[in-house]
Amino acid sequence: MSSPIRILTAVPICDGHDSAINTINLEFIRHGIEVIYLGYHRSVSDIVRAGIQEDVRAIGISSYNGGHIEFFAAVVDLLRKKGADDIKVFGGGGGTITRDDATKMRRKGVDEIFFAGTSLDDMVKFVHQRYGKPRSRRPRPQSFDQELAHKLTQIEEVYGSGNRKRPTPRFSRAKRALNCGGLTPLSPRTSKVIGFTGPGGAGKTTLIDELVLRFLHRNSKGRIAILSHDPSVVGEGALLGDRATMINSQHDRVFMRSMATRGQAGGLSPATHDCLALLAQSNFDYVIIETVGTGQEAMPFQKNGIVDSTVLVMNPDYGSRLQLQKIVMLDLADIVVVNKSDLQRARTAHTEIEQRLDQNRRHQQLVDTVAKRHRDSGADRLFELISDRQ
Amino acid sequence: MSKLGQVVESVENYNKFVLDQVKRARTDQKFGRDLLGRWNDTKAKIPVTRTPTGLPLPRLALPEIDEPGEIARFIFGEGLPGQFPYLNAAYPEMYLEPIREIESFDKNGSRSRSALDTGKKLTQPEEPTRLFSGLMLAEDTNERFHYLTRHQRTHRLSTAFDGPTLYGLDSDADGVFGKIGEGGVAIDTVEDMVRLYDGFDLGSANFSASMTISGPAPMIMAMYIAAAKRRFGPKVVSRLRGTVQADIFKEVQAQNETIFPIEPSLRFLADMVEFTTREMPRWYPISISGYHIGEAGSTPVQQAAYTLSNGFAYAEMFAARGIPVDQFGPRLSFFLDCGLDAEYIALSRVSRRIWAIGMRDVFGAGARAQLFKLHTQTSGRSLIAAEFKNNLTRTATELILSYMNATNSCHSNSADEPFTTPSEEWIRLAAHGQAILLEESGIFKHTMNMLSGSPGMKAVERAVEAAILNEFREIERLGGVLAAVEERYQRSQIQNAAHRYEQQIYDGTRPIIGLNKYRDNDEDAPEVKLVRTPRAKQQLQVDRVQKFKKKNAEKAKRALDQLATVAERGDNVFPALLEAAEVCSLGQITGRLQEVVGRFRPMV
Repeated sequence: MSSPIRILTAVPICDGHDSAINTINLEFIRHGIEVIYLGYHRSVSDIVRAGIQEDVRAIGISSYNGGHIEFFAAVVDLLRKKGADDIKVFGGGGGTITRDDATKMRRKGVDEIFFAGTSLDDMVKFVHQRYGKPRSRRPRPQSFDQELAHKLTQIEEVYGSGNRKRPTPRFSRAKRALNCGGLTPLSPRTSKVIGFTGPGGAGKTTLIDELVLRFLHRNSKGRIAILSHDPSVVGEGALLGDRATMINSQHDRVFMRSMATRGQAGGLSPATHDCLALLAQSNFDYVIIETVGTGQEAMPFQKNGIVDSTVLVMNPDYGSRLQLQKIVMLDLADIVVVNKSDLQRARTAHTEIEQRLDQNRRHQQLVDTVAKRHRDSGADRLFELISDRQ
Repeated sequence: MSKLGQVVESVENYNKFVLDQVKRARTDQKFGRDLLGRWNDTKAKIPVTRTPTGLPLPRLALPEIDEPGEIARFIFGEGLPGQFPYLNAAYPEMYLEPIREIESFDKNGSRSRSALDTGKKLTQPEEPTRLFSGLMLAEDTNERFHYLTRHQRTHRLSTAFDGPTLYGLDSDADGVFGKIGEGGVAIDTVEDMVRLYDGFDLGSANFSASMTISGPAPMIMAMYIAAAKRRFGPKVVSRLRGTVQADIFKEVQAQNETIFPIEPSLRFLADMVEFTTREMPRWYPISISGYHIGEAGSTPVQQAAYTLSNGFAYAEMFAARGIPVDQFGPRLSFFLDCGLDAEYIALSRVSRRIWAIGMRDVFGAGARAQLFKLHTQTSGRSLIAAEFKNNLTRTATELILSYMNATNSCHSNSADEPFTTPSEEWIRLAAHGQAILLEESGIFKHTMNMLSGSPGMKAVERAVEAAILNEFREIERLGGVLAAVEERYQRSQIQNAAHRYEQQIYDGTRPIIGLNKYRDNDEDAPEVKLVRTPRAKQQLQVDRVQKFKKKNAEKAKRALDQLATVAERGDNVFPALLEAAEVCSLGQITGRLQEVVGRFRPMV
């Protein structure tokens, strides 16, 4: 079973027309495609960086605000310059892109332009036909990020589209795949690995992005990697949308990879462990791993020894104290964050969680944050706690 | 309960009140007699106008009712045009041609005539036509403005800005070059703003400027004021007329042109409103807009419900800032989309009624602050590229619907809009479409209420009102507008509706002529003249803003430091913005404020 097709979709800079792309994204994932959605108002360099890090087969751009000839060409050119012209570019813009424009754009290296009236089915068919075959030979990576991205793809492909046939032992199989590719063998780990988990809607992604901002300010040279997860839907596609809200993480010193769970329960992908192991040995100062919004189970990577610290991000609206008793992660996390602490319920939540942590006697830390607030002092404190932990 | 919950209650209570009045008119004889008397007086005072063929018609058409209960239902439930609850119209007369002679029916039913005061010049009402335009650089848009207003008595300009301006960026920002002057005009500095409205008398009562921009609205507003002062001196400020869109909620819900996080965006908006309602009594500092919600794919009911609830949320916010409701209320204006769905037969009528009741009964607003002053635009989304000349019919139909809803002003789209910034040929047809409807046809110029109050229209009104109130209840359940926005409730509802709409087009249940129905073999690409900004012009704009920044570097630094200090302190930033607008570019101001309050984090 081959891996699902991964593509990146985005809307160009100074363009907020996301109605078409939202509809197309949904249609793609319904047909088994994994879509990394970068969002609207995105620059050429953000799009190309994301395309390379995510190692997608193609980038789909939806443009309704003019300037498309220049914009698409700039994306193609930058991919070429970065040695990543195996990542293809396609797109559309309703009636704003004329047939003459499209001819010019194809001449500049764009694969396909869809016109107004193209059915969603035809777009899905195009992606399957054009980008569904396995890649023949990869070009030699021209940058550290590109090499890393290729390796991560190899690991994901070893695991295929699901965990029906779990390879054992997992790590060695991936390692074999890597070595077959003639790449440098794995070296000892060098990064501090922090796991983020918590229920959906608690604000994990926003909080991580705020921590990234603080890291970039504090460190003038350091790098950070993020491994983020979103659930696969039935039919095996997935909408991986964390990048769209992570405005600070679209940065050359941040390496981000979005993964779909591909049928595995527990908020991670079958390939997560090996991907994380690889990232942890790749000279980042920090590797952050974010699970899918999970419920009450323990974090699956708790036992594997790669994660140094775990952060549980809570929403104050978890319900009753009884609900709290069921959250196993409260016993396992090193730091517990009550995000959205500006909500009325937050004080009560803080008190109830504090009592629970006291019973554990593990010196767990409790932090209140308002991640959506610029320069939030709670997020500052969380950053310090994480920096201080050895 | 937030104010929105109270609005739901107030409308329910008002509807009960109307039923009580109907009952009372039927049981309380004196009350019934008074109503009947008032009704007959009103009818007697209606002037008579004549069609070109000489047919006499009343200037105002009223239902044929003579039973006190039904009269009460009309008077209280709908209101005469210009009377609470304003279902029929915000003003007593709209679109009517001036009459030379007044005829009226006297009490005995016979007609009497009186000549108008001949000493006075006959005043033509002002045209409701507003054509939204903006292209290339300021001087190009200026030329378009002069072209559009050459036959107009009043000069009402409606300005579209290009992408970089809408996102608060300068034309020399990284990666925006191809977007300069596309889809709107490029404005970076006060100097561009001077060029944009050159040749128009900004302080005149016959001039107003509307600026469709929200994220950077306070900065653009400050630039407009600075430009007006440069041309006409400081005294012009209190005379300026116009509108700046400045609607943050709908940006976050639908249009995605937000540059600061929600809370500081709202704070800067309130800063501007506080300033303009005090210093610029004729300015509309916000246009609460459903247009972009509709264009992003919402249902008509969602469009009205989110627009109205956003409006009430702003009213709550301005009241909390200590601005009296009768000061800000009359300075709020609204902007809705008009498409082809049945709801549009009465969507704006119902919105006007809900707004008036809510403002009066929840916010304690006086008559002027109850008015839902509406600008309508025909639906851009309903226009398609295939067999694009059909777009003329679509727009014409939407225009009739818009004026049936007694919109205060209206923009009609050009048929070539699916491809390009409108060219003069098609924009001319769009403008003429309105003139044909209002001035050539007899549908709107002789009689108010010409197309109001059919049984079908009333059925739509009832269904639409109930559906809007249900949406309000849902938002209230989520904790009010801001809480619902942060939960991305409106966004996901709009996205679902958009997805359903597309599905319906693809499965054919929503017929689009020339696209999924009556489609002939693929036509050749239409011959449409494209309006694109030449590279040389884009480069000129880059050079201009860089020269401006170089020239003002010293002064800009001081102005920006001052602005940052005020923003940090949490004081009203608008006076500092006025200073900054003289010497800073838009991008410089945006960048500095983002350092203080952060950038907007997009919602997906």
